[in-house]
Amino acid sequence: MDAQVEKNNIKHVKKDRHLTPWLFVAPHLIIFAIFFLIPVIFGIYISFTNWDLMGSPKFIGLANYKELLFDNSSVFYEQLRTGLKNTFLFVVISVPFCIIVPLLMALALNVKPKLGKFFQALFYLPSLFAISAVVIIWNLMFNVAYGPINNIFHLKTVWTGTQPYAWIAIVVVTIWWTIGGNMIIYQAALNGISKDYYEAAEIDGATPTQQFFKITLPSIRSQILYTVVMTTIAQFNIYGQPLMLTNGGPDSSTSVLLMYIQQNAFGSGQSIAGIASAMAIILGICIMIVSAIQFVFLRDNSR
Amino acid sequence: MRKNKLGSRIIAFTFLLILAIIWVVPLIWGIVTSFKSEAEFSTIGFKFLPINWVLTNYTELLVNNASTPLFHWFANSMIISVSNTVLVLIVVSLSAFAYDRLQFKGKNALFYFLLATMMFPSVVNIIPLYKIIDLLGWVNTKWAMIVPGAAGVFNIFLVRQFMSNIPISFDEAARMDGASDFTIFRKIILPLTKPVLYVVALFTFTGSWNDFLWPSIVFNDIDKMPITPGLQLLQGMYQSQPTLLMAGAFIAIVPTFILYLFAQKYFLQSMSLSAGVKG
Repeated sequence: MDAQVEKNNIKHVKKDRHLTPWLFVAPHLIIFAIFFLIPVIFGIYISFTNWDLMGSPKFIGLANYKELLFDNSSVFYEQLRTGLKNTFLFVVISVPFCIIVPLLMALALNVKPKLGKFFQALFYLPSLFAISAVVIIWNLMFNVAYGPINNIFHLKTVWTGTQPYAWIAIVVVTIWWTIGGNMIIYQAALNGISKDYYEAAEIDGATPTQQFFKITLPSIRSQILYTVVMTTIAQFNIYGQPLMLTNGGPDSSTSVLLMYIQQNAFGSGQSIAGIASAMAIILGICIMIVSAIQFVFLRDNSR
Repeated sequence: MRKNKLGSRIIAFTFLLILAIIWVVPLIWGIVTSFKSEAEFSTIGFKFLPINWVLTNYTELLVNNASTPLFHWFANSMIISVSNTVLVLIVVSLSAFAYDRLQFKGKNALFYFLLATMMFPSVVNIIPLYKIIDLLGWVNTKWAMIVPGAAGVFNIFLVRQFMSNIPISFDEAARMDGASDFTIFRKIILPLTKPVLYVVALFTFTGSWNDFLWPSIVFNDIDKMPITPGLQLLQGMYQSQPTLLMAGAFIAIVPTFILYLFAQKYFLQSMSLSAGVKG
């Protein structure tokens, strides 16, 4: 009898111990399911519907994708082409700067110059600011009549209203705003390279350039891969800079895809959430393909 | 060789100094301009520093709170960011503990599934997420920004990685003494996980404070919105008053700036932490 009770107790305890782990993960899993998993599945589904955000979605098969990709009389076809072209253009121009500038900063900081800590803190600082505040400040920097840039260099450049200056302005703001994180990553990576390599290379008569390409770059390869992929993903999601700096102009030349997605789904007038979802999925697929390509080309094949 | 080193230090310093000017000028210019009067700014011509330092831009923002209630937005942002941070800390530390320390069926499969979802571009779920917020009646409420942010996976990964370095013998000793899973979590693991939790907290707070696209979708009620979409409204409303806009922008960056002053160490080490586990 006693043994039976004991056994039951153990069973009970054991059952409890099976349940507790789920209590620990449940809060996250519930939030994850409601606010990530269901929306993702639902988002894919509504891209195959003519949904207007309010009523019930009606399944229309591939019609949205057909219209976006092939119907050149459609305004959304134009939007996708313009938005995707501008988004890719921005990624192609900005990502190299967002890798090279912080890498140069990290290399310079790595020789331990005076005020190094101050420089590091300063370059990192803007990445903690909201994009709307950053753009308000830079809008005035680029102001034609009152801005310091035109006044100090005696220019009359209409920065945010003419090309290519509008893109230059957007890229400058992006670099200023975002490079801090990458710089810190490179600094940590450079710190981890053994000094012995460089000493040996110096004895062999390697020039600093040779040392950089033969020792430094290969040693921080995984951090470069990580930052290239993450920076590219971040820049594909560009939205705030063109919205508030150029408002997509001049002549839609800086209108990026996320602006069209936002307008179509949530802008004034009838919501066209179905088409907007299809646009979002096309953008998502582009991001995944580009990440995959970068990964294949940049990963360390020797390992 | 000594000379060589000195030379490279001078080159590095010069290079960094030039960049530092580019980085610091917009900040200083923005701040000092917020202390110029509108009349001085638009009539005197370009001067870097104000001739008369005035607070009118700030007082006008404070008084003019019907169409652009900046201080209201500030309070909203503060409540949202703090609540979101607290929720994330609770949810993340509980989950990370279970995935690292406890045994349950399908644990690894579930964890790898969560990690795999991180590859999924978040742009896809903005529109349907709005619908879910709408169904919950959360449009124009702070909940719309507090809760969805806790769905993320990366922080769990980060904290779990950190926990896995705490020796398992600590748990076993406590378990011998009859401690429950929750006691072990609360009394042993949580205190030892503090450094990484600071990092999670700082990044959650700044991420929440700076979020732009999502709040501009879920808020259209001017009184309810946080400060980042608020600034966009402010820019639209006061295009002709740049000095006032500078005051608004400056107010919006103060909290994260102060946080950075006090917790710079954690911000800087965290970046290498997150790259380290991924790289």
